[in-house]
Amino acid sequence: MDAISGLLGGFAALANPETLLYMIGGFLIGTFFGAVPGLTSVLAIALLLPLTYSLDVTTALVACASIFMAGMCSGSITATTINIPGAPSSMMTALEGYPMQQRGEGAKALGHAALGSMIGGSLGALLLMVMAPLAADVALLIRTPGKFSLIAFALIVIIISQRGSITKGMIATLFGVMIATIGIDVVQPLARFTFGTGVLVQGIDMMPLIIGTFAISELLVQADSRSTRTVDPSMIKAAKVRRRDFIPPLSEVREIGALRYLKSAVIGYAVGILPGAGGSMAAFVSYAESMRSSKHPERYGKGNPEGIAAAECANNSMCGGAFVPMLTFGIPGDPTTAIVLGVLVINGLQPGPQFMTQQLDLIAPMFASLFVSALILIPLTLYLLGPYFLKIVSIRRDVLYSSIAIVALVGSYVATYSTFQMALALVFGVLAYYLRKQKYPTVCLLLGFVLGPSLEEYCRRALSINDGNPLIFFTSPDSLFFIALTVVFFYFMVIRKPKDNGLGTRPA
Amino acid sequence: MSLKPSSPHSSRRAGLSGEFYVPAALAIITLIYLISAIQLGPPMKAGNMTASFFPIATAIIMLIALSCAMVHALRGKARASAESSPADAESHDEIASGRQYAGLSLGAIGVVVLTAGYLLAFDLIGYFVATFVYVLLLCCLFGGGFRDKWLTKLIAAVAITLAGYLLFEVVFQVRLPTLWSQ
Repeated sequence: MDAISGLLGGFAALANPETLLYMIGGFLIGTFFGAVPGLTSVLAIALLLPLTYSLDVTTALVACASIFMAGMCSGSITATTINIPGAPSSMMTALEGYPMQQRGEGAKALGHAALGSMIGGSLGALLLMVMAPLAADVALLIRTPGKFSLIAFALIVIIISQRGSITKGMIATLFGVMIATIGIDVVQPLARFTFGTGVLVQGIDMMPLIIGTFAISELLVQADSRSTRTVDPSMIKAAKVRRRDFIPPLSEVREIGALRYLKSAVIGYAVGILPGAGGSMAAFVSYAESMRSSKHPERYGKGNPEGIAAAECANNSMCGGAFVPMLTFGIPGDPTTAIVLGVLVINGLQPGPQFMTQQLDLIAPMFASLFVSALILIPLTLYLLGPYFLKIVSIRRDVLYSSIAIVALVGSYVATYSTFQMALALVFGVLAYYLRKQKYPTVCLLLGFVLGPSLEEYCRRALSINDGNPLIFFTSPDSLFFIALTVVFFYFMVIRKPKDNGLGTRPA
Repeated sequence: MSLKPSSPHSSRRAGLSGEFYVPAALAIITLIYLISAIQLGPPMKAGNMTASFFPIATAIIMLIALSCAMVHALRGKARASAESSPADAESHDEIASGRQYAGLSLGAIGVVVLTAGYLLAFDLIGYFVATFVYVLLLCCLFGGGFRDKWLTKLIAAVAITLAGYLLFEVVFQVRLPTLWSQ
């Protein structure tokens, strides 16, 4: 009963004009960053991170949630109209949306994408509200050896989900773990890897790492491009959409069917819970399942609304699932939830099994923001701004990237009022640029950095309570469960690799 | 990507690409890390892990992974050399080149140099002057030089500087360094 009233209180918190303003502002920012090719909602949230020092934690979380939701659906705009997915999660939408655009049904494709996102996002948020307290109860059963095995499981799954570049995923993750060991030891008061400098004793802050990895490296990558605008203006003229065509015909919605929407939402939510999977994996799995179970699989790839609905429903539902491991175990599975974890840590909060009950008043507005963003803001934004989306995202690159540079660098300064943090952001930016050029997944770097300290702490604590005997990890039932789960995942994802499904593409 | 100052000719002479050099550079960093970890003390004491155990274990696994990546890069290079004719190699180099120095394109180097200069100037001459100059130069870098639409770039630099000030100092009450506060 307390949980229900707490969750309803979250919706009431959105009635606060300031909170509401941040939710709508966050949604619009997320829409813009998700729609502009090359920018992502992760970058938007990364740029927001420094501002959370001055923001109320609830407001910051509400803004993060709406950016997350908006970023997942807005990638479909450029994917449909000009065949350039604004975000990796919209790759499958491009497969169906662009053929529809070519036969003059672009607005309808966007309508199907928005409807799918709306249904998926709302169901994902509802599932989060229902399932997260249950997951928190389960989390209470996990003891120290189990926590180590759980984090190891998360890291291993993140690494092996980097198909075709597992070694690179492993290197990036371990490098993140190494960076996290700089500073005071997690168990005893001993400074490590400071190389005689006082500035490293406190360790590396998450903010310069995030700003460097996602914002500065993006500036360096974009500096190679010669175009002056983010989207070629000639493409905009050829891709006009009218507002009245946005509403998808009821007959097509019926043909897609409630079951397909529901199944896609559940798939997206489940994929979201998995570490390292993300929106593109959710969209891919759901799309493949939709094609498999369709009465007309031959229509896929030629502009089938079913494919758009399945992909968009799943990638927005994923948003709800992604919060479950972060809030209940303190284990983020993707960069967005890792940054949200950073927002919590900046405000002195540490997620864990009791977090859901003890701090429900703080996070319930975030759940509400996810739900409201999906149910109201997605269709409303499409209807009001839809015809102008392409003009909005076709922005001058010099203005866009100069603005990003200022927000990123001055934002790094905010934490300690020192240019050292700004310099660190630049160093990490250059490092991430090299890694990105060689296709090392920088997401793994961030997750290794975030999860590394907990991995070390639980490993050492588990061994110290068992006189250094590593058998504790195999005799403790919860730990054994996660080791078995790791073996199962390793078998299915590495040894018995999933087939290509004939889609001609794989999730990013 | 090559880590050497490269032209098409020099990259062909060097033979190896960033696929090899990036893990090699990371291997050097990891070796320094491993030596520092060993200097922290023995990894186990009285049956318990010490502060050096986890870093040593991490560094060793990292070195193994980096070795695999380097061997993979070397094998890939050897396979590519065996399969492609000299003409193919030349055309490939021409496509991949675009002038690069230490693996950074000229544009990326521009951003790094400007940003490093901005960091130095930020404390010395304050937010306003440093940001205005930095934004103006970045606009030139991303917008194809100063001559093209210079007035727009000038207005953009003033607007972004003022917007940044309003966002951080006024809305979020972050005290930014100013020339008169030095």
